[in-house]
Amino acid sequence: MSYDQGIEVRETPPASGPLSFRMKITSDPRLLPVVRSTVAEFAAIWGFEAEQCRKITLAVDEALSNVMRHAYKNRSDREIELNCQANADCLEFSFVDHGESADPARFCSQPLDDASLSGRGTHLIRQIMDEVCYQRQFGRNRLSLRKYLPGAKAKG
Amino acid sequence: MTTATREQTGSTIVDVTGDIDMGTSPSLRKTLLESLKRSPRLVVNMRDVRYVDSSGIASLVEVLKEARNTQKKLILFGLNKAVQEVLQLTRLTRIFEIRETEEEALQA
Repeated sequence: MSYDQGIEVRETPPASGPLSFRMKITSDPRLLPVVRSTVAEFAAIWGFEAEQCRKITLAVDEALSNVMRHAYKNRSDREIELNCQANADCLEFSFVDHGESADPARFCSQPLDDASLSGRGTHLIRQIMDEVCYQRQFGRNRLSLRKYLPGAKAKG
Repeated sequence: MTTATREQTGSTIVDVTGDIDMGTSPSLRKTLLESLKRSPRLVVNMRDVRYVDSSGIASLVEVLKEARNTQKKLILFGLNKAVQEVLQLTRLTRIFEIRETEEEALQA
């Protein structure tokens, strides 16, 4: 059993315009499966095939886990805002938190060391998503992830 | 996520069920490290694991390191497509001893 089971995978996105939704969750890891189920379904209805749905779900899960672990230092009562937007050519996810700032270098080209027990989350996010953008503004962290539909071209 | 432990022919087998993520990987790590202390061969049944994230992978790497440090064996079996994909993405497929079935894992 995996997150793509029971999800109808469409070949093309619906033609009726963009879709979006917003979730506000507390930084409690017990909510991660709830978000995973929702994101997997969202990616599937927008036309991503099962393997890509699993990977997109993993990237979103890793981003949320990073906020919980690093920005909020494992405090489970803080707020995380997740915005999900389905555009004609891509899915876009943004995460906003009020925790400690992240090291932008973590989201750049961090080498993956087999012996290391950390850093794999950001590696996975970069491997899976086409665009990764981290900003610190007005005391908030904002991470944006974009995944283009197959055939749509990622910007330069 | 739940785990169940059983003994068979000189191996300890841990059956893992559910999702391994940031919330559940500490419990898996603890179970596997404790089981490794009691047995020269630790076999992990991943057949009913539907999801694993980087924290779960880190826990498995830590148990593997402990097994190597103590001259013991760690063998994984029954990995579904989702789990295999994460291992491939983290480029760790080769460091683990992976088998398809329990029988193969016990003979490894």
